[in-house]
Amino acid sequence: MKTQNKNITYDALVIGAGIAGGEAALNLANTGFKVLLVEKDDSVGGKMILLSKVFPTLDCSACITTPKFSEIARHPNITLFTGSQVSNIKKHGENNFTATIHKKPRYVHVEDCTACQKCEQVCPVNVKDQYQYNLVGRKAAYIPFSICSPKAAVIDIDNCTLCGACERACPTNCIDFTMEEEVYDLQVKTIVLSTGFKLFDPLKMPRYGYGVYKNVVTSMQMERLIAPTRPFNNVLRPGDGKMPDKIAYVLCTGSRDVTVGNPICSQICCMYSIKQAQLLMGALPMADVTIYYLNIRSFGKGFEEFYEQAKGMGVNFVKGKIGKITEKENGSLILRYEDINSGKLKEAEHDLVVLSVGALPNNEAKGLFADNLQLDRFNFVDQVELMTSPAKTNIDGVFVAGTASAPMDIPDTILSAGSASSEAISYLMKENAPQPPKSGVKVGQFSGC
Amino acid sequence: MATINPKFGKNLKKYGGFNFNACYNCGNCTAICSISTKDSSFPREMVRYSVLGVEDEIITSTKPWECYYCGECSTHCPQDANPGELMMSLRRWLTAKYDWTGLSGLFYKYLPATILAMLAVLAGVILFANRAEWNLESMLHFGHLFEMIAIATVFAVILAPNLVRMWYFTIIKAGVKVPLKTYLTALNDLLVHMFTQKRAKDCDDNHFRWLEHLILVFAYLALLFTTVFLNWFGTENLFVIILGYVESALIFIITVDFVKDRIQKKKALAKKSQPSDWFFVIWLLLMGLTAFLVRLFIDINILESNKWMYLFHLMVLAQWALIIVPFGKWTHFLYRSFAMYFVKIKSMKSGVKVKK
Repeated sequence: MKTQNKNITYDALVIGAGIAGGEAALNLANTGFKVLLVEKDDSVGGKMILLSKVFPTLDCSACITTPKFSEIARHPNITLFTGSQVSNIKKHGENNFTATIHKKPRYVHVEDCTACQKCEQVCPVNVKDQYQYNLVGRKAAYIPFSICSPKAAVIDIDNCTLCGACERACPTNCIDFTMEEEVYDLQVKTIVLSTGFKLFDPLKMPRYGYGVYKNVVTSMQMERLIAPTRPFNNVLRPGDGKMPDKIAYVLCTGSRDVTVGNPICSQICCMYSIKQAQLLMGALPMADVTIYYLNIRSFGKGFEEFYEQAKGMGVNFVKGKIGKITEKENGSLILRYEDINSGKLKEAEHDLVVLSVGALPNNEAKGLFADNLQLDRFNFVDQVELMTSPAKTNIDGVFVAGTASAPMDIPDTILSAGSASSEAISYLMKENAPQPPKSGVKVGQFSGC
Repeated sequence: MATINPKFGKNLKKYGGFNFNACYNCGNCTAICSISTKDSSFPREMVRYSVLGVEDEIITSTKPWECYYCGECSTHCPQDANPGELMMSLRRWLTAKYDWTGLSGLFYKYLPATILAMLAVLAGVILFANRAEWNLESMLHFGHLFEMIAIATVFAVILAPNLVRMWYFTIIKAGVKVPLKTYLTALNDLLVHMFTQKRAKDCDDNHFRWLEHLILVFAYLALLFTTVFLNWFGTENLFVIILGYVESALIFIITVDFVKDRIQKKKALAKKSQPSDWFFVIWLLLMGLTAFLVRLFIDINILESNKWMYLFHLMVLAQWALIIVPFGKWTHFLYRSFAMYFVKIKSMKSGVKVKK
């Protein structure tokens, strides 16, 4: 790429604009620091903006995230880069980091786009919609999702046929196929890592039939089915569009399981499954919902009450891990499990199965750094002073927020982001204060020896 | 009331069980097992009993014998607690418990004891050869006689009483009361399971192994019959001679494949071989091989100048008949089929009393 590198300087770099990064960026910006918030995706909001409601309050998730993200988008101290990736972070001394940012072309001038969707209407390409977790399709010229921010079209250049229909249809001429990748050389004083987590891919457990049996879905797909911005405007099973009567939740899919390489508890699945069960009982009053669990871990504030509430509403809780799932001709599914309370092997038929997939580390975090970022033994970002300063990483001046450090729920993520931003602020404030003399070699100072 | 033996787990480790304390009680093993049923659910129950050390529940149970070790439970165990290997070690433990002499337990737990016994038999064979003044004719004669006597004695003195003990534990101690007639009507099941191991066929992806095992069992029993009753080494009958060759070759070929599996350790059931497993499969292999060679040496007329071949065969045979058959893994042939027999008896009489 011939593009000239542009030099930019900020006080703080926040990597990842999910709820953790957004919260940290707002805290930093409200204190008066100039923040660059970088998001790999084409919209901010991370996973939370796609959720239906949040536990244990059952608040609407979109109603919490959207005001926050429009505040971020309009904040004078925050610069937002979407579709951009950070790399090559280097520390040269205290309050002195450099990094490279690659901003990939969106092929749409965001400031001119009115999100009229005319490009979407004319685009002839249909591909799976990743924001609806493949439940429906989208076009190659598309608005990521209805409440995305920035709300502007994107051209999915990998799937685009370059037919030019969108360009001709656009009333504001904002589509521009001549856009190129922009590269920025960034100088920054502190960094907050909020790279989030990855969901477990149930294709790794063929015995649950995900990807083969159409009525086996992931919990994230169920989130979409019951969200206010849901694709079908109703809860329908993907196999045949039938309204499900008997829904099963398979907990610990990809968590607490050494055979898939994730021995730890994901901390959120019990509660989000209980939440979805409650929402389903509202959406489908006649449906039976059964949750197959190993142990219900309702450890947070108000969680146990939330669990009891689900039981009171008639959600059926069965202790036992699902061994295998088989499909019947009519698309319903047979779940084989041992009912631990009776010690007997049982089989149950359900017409929709939701795999409560676990949270895995986002292993991209380490690759952003030219220096060595320390990970813990489960490949989350290591919290070197877990008890005294939980936001600290092994690199002084780099702080971790949210699920980049461990699986956690939204209340904990907000707390963690608050901790990371206040640590970052105090690190920034030390800039003008005299530095205490330090013994030993500073990171990166004598790298040539 | 159930008695708990906290040392049970430690003891079981000597029989090959390991890491079963990691079990977090999810039941995945039972759910994934293709032969576990609503009425007989395992292995999680056995894992729990082992962790707690509820010996009474284990000794009265036939469930360890109902498992044919396809290894699916261990492969998919989320805690790597190896339920499949636990069931295997319970079978070894039960074998030791059924054995009234206590030698089974000794041999399973202490490898040197097995080696010493093996050496003692070797010494006996040499002593015998010495007594026979290394005369091939009389060695062959007494060797044949020994086979018959050994089989009868081992069965009458060791195996039959052990089977009675097994019956006592699994039926009487378990509080099952059935009329005598039931024993007769269930007999059919005993024979079917003894000669077909048909339950093992239900283990997923295990059909080839089941077939191999089936052929091995038949070849072994047929070779036993051919050598003992048809006097394979002495006969002139061409049909019997060829029959013996085929049987011993089959034994050799199949056991080579089994040994290969245990060395490669690809399948779950072949991953954790205990000395008793090695002895069983290698001695069976040697039996096939040496029997084949002895008859070959007779046919090409070189046994007279190679008496060591027959002595080697006799040693393998004696060690097999005196150690591995009564006290080793061979007994699973009886216990498995009798376990299925007892299961059938229990199922025919629904009057299983509430356990103490």
